[in-house]
Amino acid sequence: MYFFGLWKRVFLYAGLVLQSVYILSRGLTLGRLPLVGPHDTLIFLSASVVAFFIPFSAFIKADVFSRGVALVSVAFTASGLVASPNNAPLPAVLKTLWFELHVVLAFLSYGLFGIGAIIGHIYFREKDVSLEGMQYRAILIGYCLFSLSMIFGGIWAYLAWGTYWLWTPKELWTSIVWLFYGLYLHARLVQRWNGPPLALLSMAGFIVVIFTYLGVSLLMKSSHTF
Amino acid sequence: MKTAVWLLCLLTLFFFVGAIIMSHEEAFQNMHAVPLFKWMVSQTASVTWWLWISAMLLVLLSANTLFCSVDSIVKKRKAIKWLLLISPQIIHAGFLCMLLAHLFSSVGAFKSFEVAMEGRLFTLPDNSELEVRQINLSIDPYGHLVDWRVDVAYLVNGKMVGQDLLLPNKPIFRNGIGFYVRDLRALPYRMILVELSREPGAPWALVGGILFMVGTLTLLALKMRRETDEA
Repeated sequence: MYFFGLWKRVFLYAGLVLQSVYILSRGLTLGRLPLVGPHDTLIFLSASVVAFFIPFSAFIKADVFSRGVALVSVAFTASGLVASPNNAPLPAVLKTLWFELHVVLAFLSYGLFGIGAIIGHIYFREKDVSLEGMQYRAILIGYCLFSLSMIFGGIWAYLAWGTYWLWTPKELWTSIVWLFYGLYLHARLVQRWNGPPLALLSMAGFIVVIFTYLGVSLLMKSSHTF
Repeated sequence: MKTAVWLLCLLTLFFFVGAIIMSHEEAFQNMHAVPLFKWMVSQTASVTWWLWISAMLLVLLSANTLFCSVDSIVKKRKAIKWLLLISPQIIHAGFLCMLLAHLFSSVGAFKSFEVAMEGRLFTLPDNSELEVRQINLSIDPYGHLVDWRVDVAYLVNGKMVGQDLLLPNKPIFRNGIGFYVRDLRALPYRMILVELSREPGAPWALVGGILFMVGTLTLLALKMRRETDEA
């Protein structure tokens, strides 16, 4: 459905409805939050990108925006469908509201960082200054959600493992993401960083996000591996 | 602000380098066993150089954050929308508290481990004893451990002075020490790996987290309201 979103944006909405029903049905079947493993998380991430596209599309009418979102969503959904679903019951340590908040907020923020990166790409094509403000909104809200996710993750880690911070590659990459977007938000207040440098930062930031989410989990040893 | 941007650039860069080094060095596997600074001193510079530089950059960033926050408050103290002025400074205060938390934990954290079967006693740092009375494991038909609980009792001079319960995500705390079940075994005997841990930075991290959260949500709400008003 998202693939057809490359042609008409109505298919994006239809895809989001279908995907939401799928996520909900998996949650009901498993009796838990369906956000464990690459299958579920990639599908949730793809739904997040499309869900956040809706409010931003009211301000950004260019077709290239909906096509960019469709492309990203197709890529995430296809990758999610390739990965096998994790239907095992949750380990006892994951059965806590802190974990649920940590994961949901993290993926919602990833969705917003994705929107920020797509807007950054459009900025390079169209050089429309008003896009900078939209990109800032997406990244600011994403950063807030990401920070909350880290705080809730820290509380959970302290209750589960006795420490709010572990020096593992995943945590280190997570702090890179956090610092990187902190850099973006501060750089925006410095005149010479405005324009193309910020747009470039937003795009680079999303690459760091994707590596932190998929690359570190699949390639490095960490408490967060799938 | 320019200084903050460049410090953030450098910090991101050194964390990036550190992440690459960390994934290739075995030495990082045991870095949680001792406080961070103690571990850093015990390792060769080829492993830890990026951590030393990052720590120095964090000191500079803290000083810069403190200076900029005070400067901003002084310069804009007569601003009408004081909440909009103060919320970024609350975020900064939260960030500084979190750094302070890491500093305290990096100096004074403590960890030790005990393997215990049902009925086993082990001595705690305050010379009292902890007895593992019962280990209950819930295993589903497919062999997954879905839940557990561990009943423990405190003993002083051989006499029981209290009882407690260890559950997933519910450690117990006694005299500043946290007790965590890190692993469980059902066979050949029911046994647990207990971690005794003290994290002196935890209260600061919590305060920092709350300040950061309050500042962030306030800033976001105010910016959204301003945009609505402007529209």
